Amino acid sequence: MIELQWLIPLLPFLAALMVHLLSARLGKRVARLSVGINWLVVIIATFQLVSYIAGDSGPEWMGLASGWGSLQLDPLSAIMALVVSGISLVVHIYSIRYMIEEPGYGRFFMLLDLMTGSILLMVMAGDLITLLIAWHLIGVILYFLLAHNTEPPTAQRYAFWTFITYRLGDLPLVLAAVILFQTYGALDFPTLFERIAAMPDARMVMDLPVTGTVAFLVALSAFAKSAQFPLHTWLPYTMEGPTPVSALMHAGIVNAGGIIINRFAPVFVHSGEILHLLFIVGLVTALIGSVLMLTQNDIKKSLGYSTMGQMGFMIMETGAGAFALAIFHLIAHGLFKGTMFLGAGNVIGSARKHDGVPNDPLYEFLVERKSAPARLPWLIIGAVTLIVPLIILVMAHAWVAEDFFQKQGAIVLLFFGWITGVQVLFATHRLDTENPLRMMALIILSFALIVVGYSFVGHTFENFLYPDAAFRTALYTAAGIDAVTFDMLVVLLALIVVFGWMGAYLTKVRRQRVDEGHSNARLTLYSLFSREFYVADVYDRMTASLLDLSKRLNVWFKWS
Amino acid sequence: MTGLLIILAAFFLPLFPASLVFNRLAAGIDHPMARLALFVIWPQIGVALLVWGDVAPAGPVLATWATLSALFYAFRMLTVREVGRWAAMLASSAWPLVWLFAMQAPSEVALVAFTLAMTAAPVLMLLVRDALARRLEAAYTGLHGGLARDLPRLSGVIVVATLAAMALPLFPGFFALLAVLSGATLSVAIGVLLVWLLWSWAGARLLQATVFGPRSGPIAADLPLSTTWMVAGLIVVIVAAGLLWTGGAV
Repeated sequence: MIELQWLIPLLPFLAALMVHLLSARLGKRVARLSVGINWLVVIIATFQLVSYIAGDSGPEWMGLASGWGSLQLDPLSAIMALVVSGISLVVHIYSIRYMIEEPGYGRFFMLLDLMTGSILLMVMAGDLITLLIAWHLIGVILYFLLAHNTEPPTAQRYAFWTFITYRLGDLPLVLAAVILFQTYGALDFPTLFERIAAMPDARMVMDLPVTGTVAFLVALSAFAKSAQFPLHTWLPYTMEGPTPVSALMHAGIVNAGGIIINRFAPVFVHSGEILHLLFIVGLVTALIGSVLMLTQNDIKKSLGYSTMGQMGFMIMETGAGAFALAIFHLIAHGLFKGTMFLGAGNVIGSARKHDGVPNDPLYEFLVERKSAPARLPWLIIGAVTLIVPLIILVMAHAWVAEDFFQKQGAIVLLFFGWITGVQVLFATHRLDTENPLRMMALIILSFALIVVGYSFVGHTFENFLYPDAAFRTALYTAAGIDAVTFDMLVVLLALIVVFGWMGAYLTKVRRQRVDEGHSNARLTLYSLFSREFYVADVYDRMTASLLDLSKRLNVWFKWS
Repeated sequence: MTGLLIILAAFFLPLFPASLVFNRLAAGIDHPMARLALFVIWPQIGVALLVWGDVAPAGPVLATWATLSALFYAFRMLTVREVGRWAAMLASSAWPLVWLFAMQAPSEVALVAFTLAMTAAPVLMLLVRDALARRLEAAYTGLHGGLARDLPRLSGVIVVATLAAMALPLFPGFFALLAVLSGATLSVAIGVLLVWLLWSWAGARLLQATVFGPRSGPIAADLPLSTTWMVAGLIVVIVAAGLLWTGGAV
């Protein structure tokens, strides 16, 4: 079965080569060749996943030589191979017509195939060097995909930003690989992870813990690839590239951070502090991404920041010890965001002709912010919105895992789920409808269905990805903090949320007075949001200074 | 004697300030073949000095000196616009890493092969320089941009040569850098990674100013198909040699 695994990354590379060689002869028909081969990849990936689930043989590994050049077949690689090849196939099919009038049609499909092959190689790599090769290739090919239209300066500028950020992310992973090789003397993952489990407390120079240092470096790499604050500036600006590339990037490439963290789970399980760092960086990114998403007036840029927020949430989940949930999240988000990007062009196109928005109560409520006069007593609604989601969430989680209260990470995610549920219920209870009670009941039913479905699927997925229950518990334990601090943080967070709700309520009720009282603070916030926290400006200034210094040195040394 | 040989070798496996000699020499030679010969032979003289003199470079001072030299030239590459000088600075940044590799006491063959791996990209950039100068009268980046539109074959060669200069997979530079890193101390490894990052930055700037952007400059003929195939063949040989040399291991 592992022999078939080789075909999955090799076929797209073969497709790229054939597209390049035959594009002059076949013309636009070359795209069909590319799509055909990608269909084959999806079929093989599906077969591999089904065989893995049906079989009982466990993970397999196969190398071409003694050193590097190996692949593995395990739950993570099997599921991600299907997801990546599936999304890539959709993007390929979409591009056949979408790119038909663009110059460099064959080149585009060649690059798309190279990218598909590189991502597949990354998710299936069985050793450090194969992983590094794929990791490097992804950034380089993305640069050429984003710069596919070779002339517009803005496209080039943002492709360049992406490339440099990705290079920044490549190098920590190289250092992590070097440290692992120097300490444990193995390149292949099975041997490496075995030795790490046997000797997790190994120390390196300056008495630094090897696992902690490696986890930190892998995290840095993941931050750059998955647009975590402050390495996020490339993501919202890469909309100048072709729409299919945006779809592939937001649905697949940007998820690389979550995949690499999961791949190195046997390292992170011994690095509690780094898991906390992941949680904090993810949380900050999720907040900033969401805030900036709300302040954009360009649909694609808004989607870009939305992806940033989702990536933050994904990294946060790994920081909470919910590694499998992060993968589940990135798959769900990839499918959802890919669909949105592929549909964005049509939405823009139709909106230019006519807004096409039905003037119904939902539109008035969501867009024009016109709510119906309160029909249900607000106190009852308040109590319902606070309690019902909590009951649903607790019951759903207790159903799938009785011991979930022992896992801090699960409680954190439960807490966020609760806030989301409350927001949904409370925000919609004033929607203009003939039967408000029926509407509320339907909303609660929908919420319950989503939560139960999500909990069940999430739990099943976790058991598939990490079948070893002891390892799952160890991840949650590593991500935990002492109980008192944890409880205090939960209370603090709850207070912040409650004050946030009160603030929102007061702003609405006493709009005039609040506006006057906080005009300076609001202006500062406005300028921060509109300049996107000045992060890109700081990078621009730093870049200019470094280039200036380089130029001066060259002049001093007469270009020798 | 050993100290003298090391100082002498510092001119050929250039360590700053001895590297100024190589850069002046490279800038002063006009004939393309002579310049190519200089790039191939110059570092091998340094290797020969180390091998024949049985010099085993060692010590943190030499390692730091080599790393800083490599960093110094990599940083200066960012703002060099003449492609010939760019290639010379790339060589001046890559060859000091031979010292770091030599400190791991490799075999003579491995040392020669490593030096060749570090020479491949500068040589490819010299070929690019000559191709540009022949068509556009000067090989200055930023002077005639947007070549991808009218000169796709030449642009392809520029892209591949620049990727080799950035030491990206599967070019020999990638495996050579991994070989250096596998035996490096943490501080040296960080220095080498910074060099790698600067090469990437400089390479991307070179691509931005030649291949990409709006087309400007005189009308020029693209690379003939036969020449393109020859260059492609050369690149395949370089990549295959790099892969064979690493032998499937670091």
